[in-house]
Amino acid sequence: MTKLKGNDFIEKVRTEIDQRLPLDMLNLGDLMAHKEVPKHRMSWAYYLGGFTLFFFIVQVVTGLMLLFYYKPTVSEAHASVEYITHQVSAGALVRNMHTWASSLMILSILIHLITTFAMKAFEKPRELTWVTGVALLLITFTFGFTGYLLPWNQIAVNATKIGLQTIEQVGHYLPGDLATWPRHLREIIQGEASVGQSTLSRFYAIHVVVLPFLIFGLLGVHLLVVQLHGMSKGVDEPAKGQEKFFPFFILKDFSAWGIAFLALFLFALCLPFESFFPYPLFEPYDALGSTPEGIKPEWYFFFMYYPLELLPFWLVMLGVNGAMVVLLFAPWIFKGSSRKTLRFLAVLAALYLFVMTVFGDKIYHLVKGVGG
Amino acid sequence: MLEAFLFVGLPYTAVIICVAGSIYRFKTQPYSYSALSSQFLEGKKLMWGSVPWHLGITVVFLGHLAAFLAPDTWRLFLSSTHVLYTMEAIGLAAAILCALGLLVLILRRLTTANLQPVTTLMDLVVLFLLLIQVILGIMTAMSVRWGSLWSTETTTPYLWSLLTFRPDASFIAGMPLLVKAHLTGAWILLLSIPFSRLVHMFSLPLEYLFRPPQKVVWNAHPHHGSLKAAEDKEVTRRLFLKGAFGLTAGGVLLGIGVLDELYRFFRGPRLTQAEEADLLDVTQKRLKKNAEEKALELERLRDESIFVAKLSDLSPTKGKYFIDYQMRPALAFLGADGLPQLLSAKCTHLGCTVGSEVNAQGRLLCPCHVSFFDVTNGVPDAGSPAKDPLPKLGWVLVNEKGEIVLSRGPKGEVEGTLLGHEKETLSVHIAKRYVEALT
Repeated sequence: MTKLKGNDFIEKVRTEIDQRLPLDMLNLGDLMAHKEVPKHRMSWAYYLGGFTLFFFIVQVVTGLMLLFYYKPTVSEAHASVEYITHQVSAGALVRNMHTWASSLMILSILIHLITTFAMKAFEKPRELTWVTGVALLLITFTFGFTGYLLPWNQIAVNATKIGLQTIEQVGHYLPGDLATWPRHLREIIQGEASVGQSTLSRFYAIHVVVLPFLIFGLLGVHLLVVQLHGMSKGVDEPAKGQEKFFPFFILKDFSAWGIAFLALFLFALCLPFESFFPYPLFEPYDALGSTPEGIKPEWYFFFMYYPLELLPFWLVMLGVNGAMVVLLFAPWIFKGSSRKTLRFLAVLAALYLFVMTVFGDKIYHLVKGVGG
Repeated sequence: MLEAFLFVGLPYTAVIICVAGSIYRFKTQPYSYSALSSQFLEGKKLMWGSVPWHLGITVVFLGHLAAFLAPDTWRLFLSSTHVLYTMEAIGLAAAILCALGLLVLILRRLTTANLQPVTTLMDLVVLFLLLIQVILGIMTAMSVRWGSLWSTETTTPYLWSLLTFRPDASFIAGMPLLVKAHLTGAWILLLSIPFSRLVHMFSLPLEYLFRPPQKVVWNAHPHHGSLKAAEDKEVTRRLFLKGAFGLTAGGVLLGIGVLDELYRFFRGPRLTQAEEADLLDVTQKRLKKNAEEKALELERLRDESIFVAKLSDLSPTKGKYFIDYQMRPALAFLGADGLPQLLSAKCTHLGCTVGSEVNAQGRLLCPCHVSFFDVTNGVPDAGSPAKDPLPKLGWVLVNEKGEIVLSRGPKGEVEGTLLGHEKETLSVHIAKRYVEALT
């Protein structure tokens, strides 16, 4: 009897999935005994995912602690944040740790992303790891964006307004009835005609319930496939050796976490996150007052923000969305690229992010100064 | 009478007997001047009994000694509650360690067959006495708290009075029974030293602390290697124990600190009435502000027209902020024609609020992304990020009787006539009928 063609196809899909999710290898003892970390000049990059995970854990713990006191209403949100900062024992420390760790989490994700790209860690069969990783990046950015609004101060509300307004701007480039869709989308997100109580409630729900669900699920998949496939080779030349993940690498991982925690703790103890901004931005939001000067998004949005300020809107939108697509489909787009090429691209991307984040303000003033 | 004996007679007797007896024992039975090791008869339990006991009692003893030798410095040191809590906690932990060690030692003496022949009655008596003394100390620490502080004012002067031969038991006359029992126990223990193994404390081998570790190897093979191996094993073990001890101690300290902070975090602040009042004051102000905003919204939903300003209060160079029907900021100016000029203050670029000052070129500035708008018609300058003009708002002029005298829609359509003498009394309103036209 000859096999039906349909069966062949199903069989093929099954093997493809099997290759990527080899669940039959799921045996904790086995994984622990066999997982190895290659030693080579890029070995340091194997710590970055762990760092991200560590900061995420810090976020979960400190976030839960803040949740005990935070009140998500327009009239009380800012007061409750002040209460946490000034009255609750160690409240300022917890809140500072939450803000610092959020930034550090995003920083380590970005470096993690760039290094895994440079090491071609997304090669078959690790596509799923990469795609879930990109999704986790987006979720983390959304965490940052929604969490930023919660203290309900001048900078938070105004920056959120501007951020949401960008969605509406897309409407200018759409034809006919489509032009109103971005505005509808924005109003669905903010829950009313302008940023207000509904927005706060929605952002709160998204920040503390929706996103955590999503991130726990995706993180589970991400970590599972990492365990199943083991560490990627990372470099072209043969590794100098292998190191057992358990107990050697994990111990090093933990000691790195210890140092990270100490650094975070000291930062949080000594440096309020707000100390980098002019003070009035942290007054409670005044719906009837004018927008204070110096409104800027968080540093991790600078790579989008300054281009938006300097270049035509459509160009930046095209660039950002194009980059997103390329990022998401990197395992297939760069299937045939050598690690050398990928390293070059990664350095370019890192350079761009670094320059825009650190010197964005200077570039902005330089260009504006010459132009106007 | 009894008290005089217990706290004056007994101490002197105890000290005399202790000193004289110890010297006598040293002279007559010098080889009995030790704790008569039983390690080779039973070693495991000894380790779990003797080590905690000696560790604990050393700490406890040093604490007692500090309060006795330098009460003033000690008190100063403890004046910070954090230090006081820490010291008390360390003392209590050490005392519990002592008690546990003693329990192990007692059980060992009572149940190990190997030890029965070498266990004297005095050994058991001393062990029980010590246990009672430690338990009394723990109870004192728990029920008559902060002994490290109050002892500097009571037992310390009492002990010094004994030492300076001016015995004065009145320092401790009012103390709880527990403390008196603890003191009496101390004298009895002192008394028992020359008759028991306790005498070994006078031959404290301090240099042991600094010498390299030694191990007695029974039946050692004459070959040098096995000795070396045994030594190495001992060193590794020592290192491991030290490391484990350090980690455990650090972990416990960290754990206590974290738990303490967590406890206080979740317990929440206990505010004084003044702090509570300040907090309520702030909250109330915010709530009021919120209520005012809601009132504005309600007003806009219901009223046909809303007061903006007196016409005479408007200026051509400094705008007056008000809230339009859509709850967005807007600005009111006096136009060149002497009539109001109302512009939305929501920047058409990204929605920031436009500034109210008119500059020398007759422009309004949006501070967010530096857009300039012409105050006369709301049109942005060519290079500005904003491309659309600020929408003009319609207005009505209302006289004192509430009648509409003159109105102008957002597109500039004028209705009514204005008599010159009325100007002073007119007020500017925005009207609901222009809202539909605006959006």
